[in-house]
Amino acid sequence: MAIDIKKYIVRFSEEARDHINKLSEGLSELATGNADKACIDNIFRSVHTIKGSSRMLKLTTITQTAHKLEDVMGALRDGSLKPTPQLAQLLCSATDTLSALVERLAEKPDGDSLPPADQALLKALTLAVSGLDVEAQHRSPADPASPPMPAELLCAAKPLSAAATPASSPGQAAPQAQPQAPAGPASALTPSAPSQPPLVGSVAAKPAPQGEAEPRLKPAETVRVRLGKLDELIKLMGEVVSSHASMRQRLKDIRALENELALSVAKPVAARLHRFVQDLRDDVQAQEVLKDELHDKMLVMRMLPLAIIFEPAAHLVREMARSVGKQVECVVKGSEIELDRQMIDKLSDPIIHLIRNAVDHGLETAETRAASGKPAQGKLTLSARQDGSWVVIDVADDGGGIPLEAVRSKAVKKGFVSQERAASLSDEESIDLVFLPGFSTSSIITDLSGRGVGMDVVKQCVIDDLRGTISVETCPLQGATFSLRLPLSLAVMRVVLVEAQGLAFGFTSQYVEELLRLPRESLLRVAEREAVIIRNEFVPVAHLAEMLGIPSRAGRPPGRAGRTPGVLLLVLRVRNEKIALMVDDLLDERDMVIKTLPEHMRNLPLMAGMVTTGGTELVSVLHAPGLIDLARRTAPRSDRAQHEERGRRSILVVDDSMNTREIEKDVLEANGYAVTLAEDGVDGLRKALDGDFDAVLTDVEMPNMDGFTLTARLRQEERYRNKPIVIITSREKEEDKRRGIQVGADAYIVKGDFAQSNLAETLRVLLG
Amino acid sequence: MNEMTLDQVLTKHHKDNAIVDVDEPTVKLVVFALGNDWFAFHGNHIREILAQVDVFFVPGCPPSIEGVINVRGDIESVIRPRELLGLPDSGAYTCSSVLLGRGGGVSSGVRVDRVIDVIDAPQSSVQPPPATLPERMRLLALGVVHFQEHLVIVLNIDTMFAEFSRGLG
Repeated sequence: MAIDIKKYIVRFSEEARDHINKLSEGLSELATGNADKACIDNIFRSVHTIKGSSRMLKLTTITQTAHKLEDVMGALRDGSLKPTPQLAQLLCSATDTLSALVERLAEKPDGDSLPPADQALLKALTLAVSGLDVEAQHRSPADPASPPMPAELLCAAKPLSAAATPASSPGQAAPQAQPQAPAGPASALTPSAPSQPPLVGSVAAKPAPQGEAEPRLKPAETVRVRLGKLDELIKLMGEVVSSHASMRQRLKDIRALENELALSVAKPVAARLHRFVQDLRDDVQAQEVLKDELHDKMLVMRMLPLAIIFEPAAHLVREMARSVGKQVECVVKGSEIELDRQMIDKLSDPIIHLIRNAVDHGLETAETRAASGKPAQGKLTLSARQDGSWVVIDVADDGGGIPLEAVRSKAVKKGFVSQERAASLSDEESIDLVFLPGFSTSSIITDLSGRGVGMDVVKQCVIDDLRGTISVETCPLQGATFSLRLPLSLAVMRVVLVEAQGLAFGFTSQYVEELLRLPRESLLRVAEREAVIIRNEFVPVAHLAEMLGIPSRAGRPPGRAGRTPGVLLLVLRVRNEKIALMVDDLLDERDMVIKTLPEHMRNLPLMAGMVTTGGTELVSVLHAPGLIDLARRTAPRSDRAQHEERGRRSILVVDDSMNTREIEKDVLEANGYAVTLAEDGVDGLRKALDGDFDAVLTDVEMPNMDGFTLTARLRQEERYRNKPIVIITSREKEEDKRRGIQVGADAYIVKGDFAQSNLAETLRVLLG
Repeated sequence: MNEMTLDQVLTKHHKDNAIVDVDEPTVKLVVFALGNDWFAFHGNHIREILAQVDVFFVPGCPPSIEGVINVRGDIESVIRPRELLGLPDSGAYTCSSVLLGRGGGVSSGVRVDRVIDVIDAPQSSVQPPPATLPERMRLLALGVVHFQEHLVIVLNIDTMFAEFSRGLG
């Protein structure tokens, strides 16, 4: 991946300038003997930051200088070194060296063009840490006669770096000692006057572009703006976008008016009206283009690269790995991808938790890895990639994968699921267990986040705060990957607007799977609720208006809805769960500015925010995960107690669609059966052989092993030779049915005619 | 009256004025009606009085929130004060207004049936709430004043909004 390192170098030099200013201020305090602990801490932090960010960009010279400077500051900070005027001088000249390097970088954002570090200065700094006579050590290299010497030495000592920049090396050899030169004059200056002027002179003396003479007077290329001001501006922009929508409406109105008037007014008037409408249209369109561009540019202003999170995270990985005694290599990819600042702020905690989790639990110790034939060093990959208007962030480790068995038993121990339920969980469902509140108990305090988060908080943060989704893939011995799919910005999102009982509602498009119009007859009544079959999968149906409890006086009279036949279903999908919402009409789909609700209303589980339509009208954007939760809670639970005494027969349901499994389970449980679920043929076979079921229900098309094969395989088992096996599928072809009978199925139910009574009746007949 | 000389009249007038002119601190009150009951908020807590404003339905809200309004681009909630005050719902929403207030760290609109007036009442005219007030209202009342032959209960918007947002949490 080609990273435009230049951009970061420019950013770095801007940032470094700030830190160098802080450094100079702090050092003059130090020189006058006024420096307190906070001041030294500040200097230390500034140096540390310069060191860290220069290392990221491989600006070795700066890193080395800053590193030595940091050592001295560290010694000052822990009190092992006492500030002396001489030391302050040395620090000042080191700062000036840094400053010169940074200015040079600002001039030419290319890390390779930097001269190698000034070894004499480094040596002086090293000696300073050991508390030796700074003055004596420092004077000699600053001697006017000496500069060429360290330069030669350097060339000899670092042939590689010289060879790396062959074109510039002859020219470089001379200037590399240049930053050293002011050290002499500087020591003669009063400490409160940092030695910038001579330094600038010396930099300008290099065989470099002439324009470099007054770098300090160059206008800064960036302006710092308080985030609040930027937010206000973006909010205002949002208003412009919304008000533009009403302008478009006005245009439509005047067109309608024109058509109405065309016949009744005199020709010249009609012509003038027509011209006016044309002009207005052009104006509105021109403005729309401008507005869109303005809006895009505005949002970009608040975007920050993921490196802000990834780099410290990578550092954290190494630290954490060291603290738990594991060898971990951290690979970062795609850190140049930019996200809205709001997202970046919120993303940090979940990412830290995920990497912490990977280092703690995912990656094995070197011995374990060696035993399973893997390289001793574990690998943790933090990667980001853009996918349309989404960013996918993967936190992947090459460890042992999530130990699902252990997860299940922990869930049982903690009382989240019963023993028998745990045994029947599919792998996907088992993974979901780790997201249950209270499942991960290790409270984690990190330097960066300062607070403990569990996996449930990670999930909540990703889904509710970041409006994204999280998915997990795990493979024994090969590792686990947590994928976060996030919108680029929370400010603007693609919104689908629908109407229910005369009110408009929005859905952010990441959750919208499809919009279907189906004949009313295709709705099935299954276990007290409605469902529909969409491509071989049962999807529960809910009436949006009923679910939301829309007050009758709130809505407008129904629009087009009444006239069109059939039902309009908006299918939402959150992870593996789907729900089909019955709505009256599709109104619009476009990118919209999402407004946040007042602070005290942020906790409403159903709300993702609001959008404005038609100028001032506010429309609720619904939060799909919240809706699905609500649907699950309000789904009528059949009273199982009355069936309890019937002596529950156990049924194994095998289907790769979670929705289908759940609905079949509901139907069967409503009829008093105990149900175990399996997610594909292989899983089904394993569970069938582990347990002893009275009947098996299976789908046909499934990954790994299909239903026909499963049926045939089960028939070979003594236990299942005579047990009822029912195939439930959407395949209606005769030959499929025949094949089903051939492999030994007792019944073949087509999902299309699937109704609760049908299935229950069939089972009752088969089970006797 | 007829026997009074001009001087006497002037003296009396002056005296009357003197009584009125006593520099008594006043409080600004926004007086409004909910059904037949009159209430007031301190004026410095009310940012704006909005007449004729569209309230938009928000799903999943507690009954104490009627919906939200768009105030020049900012979304503000609209509270139904009856819920908080324990008053029955009158169902009368015609020509009602929304008071935009801030208190207890919350900014929100409050739906009122009618805004009566904004008055400067002498501080001494605000009396402690009588013990006969219902329990719920006594908790929220700062005091009472008489205005236009009505008993006006001055409400503590801080407590009211704080209680409201607690109810949301």
